[in-house]
Amino acid sequence: MSTWNYVVTAHKPTNVTHSCVGNFTSPQDLNLIVAKCTRIEIHLLTAHGLQSILDVPLYGRIATLELFRPHGEAQDFLFIATERYKFCVLQWDTETSELVTRSMGDVSDRIGRPTDNGQIGIIDPDCRLIGLHLYDGLFKVIPFDNKGQLKEAFNIRLEELQVLDIKFLYGCPKPTIVVLYQDNKDARHVKTYEVALKDKDFVEGPWSHNNLDNGADLLIPVPSPLCGVLIIGEETIVYCSADGFKAIPIRPSITKAYGRVDPDGSRYLLGDHTGSLSLLVITHEKEKVTALKIEPLGETSIASTISYLDNAFVYIGSSYGDSQLIKLNLQPDAKGCYVEVLERYVNLGPIVDFCVVDLERQGQGQVVTCSGAYKDGSLRVVRNGIGINEQASVELQGIKGMWSLRSSTDDPFDTFLVVSFISETRILAMNLEDELEETEIEGFCSQVQTLFCHDAIHNQLVQVTSNSARLVSSTTRELLNEWNAPSGFSVNVATANATQVLLATGGGHLVYLEIGEGVLQEVKHAQLEYEISCLDINPIGENPNQSHLAAVGMWTDISVRLFSLPDLNLITKEHLGGEIIPRSVLLCAFEGISYLLCALGDGHLLNFMLNTSTGELTDRKKVSLGTQPITLRTFSSKNTTHVFAASDRPTVIYSSNKKLLYSNVNLKEVSHMCPFNSAAFPDSLAIAKEGELTIGTIDDIQKLHIRSIPLGEHARRICHQEQTRTFAICSLKYNSASAEESEMHFVRLLDDQTFDFISVYSLDTYEYGCFIISCSFSDDNNVYYCVGTAYVLPEENEPTKGRILVFSVEEGKLQLIAEKETKGAVYCLNAFNGKLLAAINQKIQLYKWVLREDGTHELQSECGHHGHILALYVQTRGDFIVVGDLMKSISLLMYKHEEGAIEERARDYNANWMSAVEILDDDIYLGAENSFNLFTVRKNSEGATDEERGRLEVAGEYHLGEFVNRFRHGSLVMRLPDSEVGQIPTVIFGTINGVIGVIASLPHEQYVFLEKLQSSLRKVIKGVGGLSHEQWRSFNNEKKTVEARNFLDGDLIESFLDLNRNKMDEISKAMDVSVEELAKRVEELTRLH
Amino acid sequence: MDTWKNIRDRESGKSRPLSFANRIKSNRISQLELSNHKELISPHKGAINSIQIDFTEGRYLLSSASDASVAVYDVQRPSQCDGFISKHTCLFVVDKQHELAHKFAVSSAIWYPIDTGLFITGSYDHHVNVWDTNTTQVVVNFKMPGKVYKTAMSTLSTSHMLIAAGTEDVQVRLCDIASGAFAHTLSGHRDGVMTVEWSASSEWVLITGGCDGAIRFWDIRRAGCFQVLNQSRTQLGRRPPLLKRSVITKESNTKMRAAQKKFVNGSGSGSGQLPIGRLSSKGPMKQKLHPGMISTQDRATAHYGAVTGLKVTEDGMHLLSAGSDSRLRLWDVESGCDTLVNYETVRLQTSKPIQLATTQDSTLVFVPCMRVVKAFDMWSGNANTILRGHYESVNSCWFNQHDQELYTGGNDRQILVWSPARLIADEMNEGDPDDQDNWSS
Repeated sequence: MSTWNYVVTAHKPTNVTHSCVGNFTSPQDLNLIVAKCTRIEIHLLTAHGLQSILDVPLYGRIATLELFRPHGEAQDFLFIATERYKFCVLQWDTETSELVTRSMGDVSDRIGRPTDNGQIGIIDPDCRLIGLHLYDGLFKVIPFDNKGQLKEAFNIRLEELQVLDIKFLYGCPKPTIVVLYQDNKDARHVKTYEVALKDKDFVEGPWSHNNLDNGADLLIPVPSPLCGVLIIGEETIVYCSADGFKAIPIRPSITKAYGRVDPDGSRYLLGDHTGSLSLLVITHEKEKVTALKIEPLGETSIASTISYLDNAFVYIGSSYGDSQLIKLNLQPDAKGCYVEVLERYVNLGPIVDFCVVDLERQGQGQVVTCSGAYKDGSLRVVRNGIGINEQASVELQGIKGMWSLRSSTDDPFDTFLVVSFISETRILAMNLEDELEETEIEGFCSQVQTLFCHDAIHNQLVQVTSNSARLVSSTTRELLNEWNAPSGFSVNVATANATQVLLATGGGHLVYLEIGEGVLQEVKHAQLEYEISCLDINPIGENPNQSHLAAVGMWTDISVRLFSLPDLNLITKEHLGGEIIPRSVLLCAFEGISYLLCALGDGHLLNFMLNTSTGELTDRKKVSLGTQPITLRTFSSKNTTHVFAASDRPTVIYSSNKKLLYSNVNLKEVSHMCPFNSAAFPDSLAIAKEGELTIGTIDDIQKLHIRSIPLGEHARRICHQEQTRTFAICSLKYNSASAEESEMHFVRLLDDQTFDFISVYSLDTYEYGCFIISCSFSDDNNVYYCVGTAYVLPEENEPTKGRILVFSVEEGKLQLIAEKETKGAVYCLNAFNGKLLAAINQKIQLYKWVLREDGTHELQSECGHHGHILALYVQTRGDFIVVGDLMKSISLLMYKHEEGAIEERARDYNANWMSAVEILDDDIYLGAENSFNLFTVRKNSEGATDEERGRLEVAGEYHLGEFVNRFRHGSLVMRLPDSEVGQIPTVIFGTINGVIGVIASLPHEQYVFLEKLQSSLRKVIKGVGGLSHEQWRSFNNEKKTVEARNFLDGDLIESFLDLNRNKMDEISKAMDVSVEELAKRVEELTRLH
Repeated sequence: MDTWKNIRDRESGKSRPLSFANRIKSNRISQLELSNHKELISPHKGAINSIQIDFTEGRYLLSSASDASVAVYDVQRPSQCDGFISKHTCLFVVDKQHELAHKFAVSSAIWYPIDTGLFITGSYDHHVNVWDTNTTQVVVNFKMPGKVYKTAMSTLSTSHMLIAAGTEDVQVRLCDIASGAFAHTLSGHRDGVMTVEWSASSEWVLITGGCDGAIRFWDIRRAGCFQVLNQSRTQLGRRPPLLKRSVITKESNTKMRAAQKKFVNGSGSGSGQLPIGRLSSKGPMKQKLHPGMISTQDRATAHYGAVTGLKVTEDGMHLLSAGSDSRLRLWDVESGCDTLVNYETVRLQTSKPIQLATTQDSTLVFVPCMRVVKAFDMWSGNANTILRGHYESVNSCWFNQHDQELYTGGNDRQILVWSPARLIADEMNEGDPDDQDNWSS
């Protein structure tokens, strides 16, 4: 049963909805604050660009985000209002580097109709009040008192019903708003009102202006001393104030965003719907506006927000493409463009469709999304884990260890690759032809296994074998000095850095050597009570060549110990618990924080925060990476240090936002890894796996890897055809050259490796591509692409004509095989029992594939079912058909073979406006609806009455806070059949905000356990701004609000792993389950995405 | 507006889901016509007096008629399909054959707002009955002092189960289902009460319209009514007019406001007392007389003649009233002022209460105007559509928000369904597989 579902985000929202600039984290800091619908990011502007300080989720969809500074404060506060009528004021706590909630509240009303044009939240420039327009006909005021605290809110009646924008005017003795509105006759006007706080009412304001540009949609208040307001229309820009009026015509465009450049408000950046950026200049004399001037600057992503940072740096937030950091140059480039894009921030939104494919045929799903819109449309290939791009490989069996060495201390590149086997050591080096060739280092002992190698200072190399430690000159390659193990003892484990060697022999002897010029000197010796299993002296202090700490893993008492160097005094002893010995220890530092990592023989990894001065270990955490012993190694990529954990499930450990993150590497099993940065293979890794030595580069270190394929047009539907190794998309191109909006629609064929367009079919004028599938028919071995279209005529309310086109791919070309005219738009297509099932306006229609006498095929109508308002989304399973209606929730139909008829079986009578449906199993169907909710319904075939059987019962409800466009069965991760999570069925969804999420159907026992964990976490983790998680996840639409049920918030549950130990203990106590057990169970879940 | 483009704009995030839904709805509403695919088969042998569809699923229609009968229909699932027309016969009817049936005309039948397990009827036989839907038995009944014109329950209520009943008597009675007794009587009207309506924003506020032409607002937790609508009080000049120049000093401005306020107080309905939502402001007024008492003495009228219909808009901010003076008025609930929207001349029934309906977005109001139903634009008062279909006077309208369908019942014993036009032609053509080859090749 798929009743119990777990919802988790695999890719966070990236659609930038709001941004603002101010001094938030300290009076001196210039911060950029970015809202991505349900997340807030705080950045600091530094000399090197934007530096992320905080990225937190918010329990609400952000409706307004504003920085403001109350009187007497040195830095800004952040005001946020959510779409579900909560608001909060946040402040930065410099000491804890956390957000503190100054005040919060609810601004919902029983009366009034939610505004159609979105909520408006504005703050008086003199900080006397906050104004909110949330319901038609009402303006809510939250006044500030003298101390900058918020007082009780009240409503003022706003007679203008169709409000387009409201802003506060600058420089008014009393708070004054300017309202842009549309009247009954569709004419647009502006009007001003003074807010009389005492009377809690409006007083008609100083001026108004009637009959503006019909496209006027945006108000920009101009600061003192000019004051007044700019009204941005589609064809004109007007400056309006009590005593001034100026207007200029502009090239027809729809302005989507603006950013103020100067504090005095004489220049503004405007971004329009085609992505062009312009500068609007107000020229003035003696505080009087004399003229307006507009100048195009160049092209950016289509902006949803523009924030001018400083020194001509501008942040462009986008909903339709990647967000950008740009620089405005003083001089234009060759194309007359002043815009220079410095950085791009990936945005997958809006994901209108996607498909799950396994292009590399590795058993791991990848998601290919139709992302972006208009000119910023693209395909994105989203893959979990880190890929290795193989550069070279040789067959080599039985590798026991690998190290790279340089030919001199100053050489930036590695020359040698030392590969150790059970009874020999071989040395590979790059030859002149840039090939890897076997070579020799005379001073090395090559007849035995090497335990450790390292570059040493003074152009020397160190090799440790079971008998001795050898110091070799890297220039002459001759032995300079040798330290021999005491007779009767052999070296078991060893480690070294540029100046130090630490080794352990049988009997628990720990020996510390120091490297001098041509000298290897035993400095200290210690006798421990047990045998030593692993060692590390990776320098993490200030001196990159020397460590003052040594980490030692022990047999028998299963502990890890820290010793000081050079005196080998025991500083810390930490018992690991359990019976599995540590196999690899590593001292490392990420983002300035030191850690001790300790890998066990059973694939678990422990990590501790390490205080390098006291040697104290804190914040112990345990994660399971695989099932086999792990070997830890550091490597660097893009100037950042990461750790590679080689095992049966290779993992890269890295740090982001000062949190350790684990990302799997897309390789099956890795026994050893070492960085190998040679001139021919820069920034590469040498990897020993399955009898093979591979040299390759590594992807950017992040959990999800996204490849972008810009299309320059808007892809709306995508599907993959395995047999022909192609993708087909329905796309449209806007013709922005002419003022009239015109579009061209295509069916395009793409190669699934190169993503090149290989064939195209242009649709008719007014014909739009609506849906595409790859399918085959009974009694025909070929595979086809079937495309559903609609003729969208300007005068028609609803399309009355469409086509179904059947294509085959022949020699890389789309060949039209058959076409069938329909009496409406083909909203959805499904392969169904060797036939084709189409959703056409109100109707579900089944077509069979019929062979004609002349040998050609045609689609022939077999049967249908009507009675929907609009059948938009259809899924099938066996003979069952699940329909998601425009506004009538989900209904279940069944195809009866004998009668050749489709009948309704059951229906959900709730009035859900659907946006996607999917079948989870025979009885449970999943739906996403218009108010950002998810729900499941259950077929009740055992019902006692017809009435009961004819009803789809609501099984689960949940507020996702995201608009889902598509569900697909599949998984983003490699499904290992032996693991528990491998058995959990998952559905992937894609949303407008660019979220890729996973819905996993859990076994009941696990669900109950996690539900308990979730409610414990709710008590411990407080939402930003004091917002309640329970309320946030409650199912909410126009008709009802009910508590979430049978869905769990995986994002909250997985945040358990980020808690500090105290909070984990608190939860462990509440749950009566050990922290380790909790962590283990939560980690398992993180492998679902 | 074209549906297909709307859907595309929604999926790309260009239009907000809420405004998408509103646009589709208003587009559908603008296409309302006598349904070409749905028919209700009425078993009533007398004039249909009231119609209501349940609030939970928008599925079960309850109708009552002058032949003392009450019937329930499933408007979602047809009882039979005749070609492309789905026919809905009633699931059950309670008529004179039923031992507990009313003796005279049933003027009002309403669902219990929480679920369809109960329904409430009010009849000219002086009774208000509460019925169990599944057993069709009366579970509670209330004896009233005269003919019952109208019953109403609050759809917002979470803390009470009160039926408000308007009868021939001057007092409005609140019948408590939980106790089976009268909870309150509300005194103030000087004649029978034809229509009662609960507020859409507070579960405690009841609005009543009497044959005395008065519309009274009651907070049932307090004594007396707190507001009486006055047709001479209009919204004109509620706010000080636009100042052409700032030369006109603020002083004059405040004076004007003060004058305004006095007037409001004088009429006994200072906005300070409004218990509705958070609109209330704690004005600095001091009353010497109990506010309930002031308003009881207030003899202001909203209509000349009887108030025959009341309907609060979904947003709770406005009230529509119909009177035997053939006027339709739109009131601002907060201020109690007439908004002065001029609804094009109508002739309304005068003898019976009429049931108005509004669309969810409060843009249209459906008004029974003798034999036709007119759909007025709420804010301009223009008659957008005239729905002709009944042969005799229409008594009641119900707008089903779920499907954007209008149901009307009249003296011609019919319940008519008005729905957005559907393209039937397409279904006809593709229906029969045997016909296929005729046109598909």
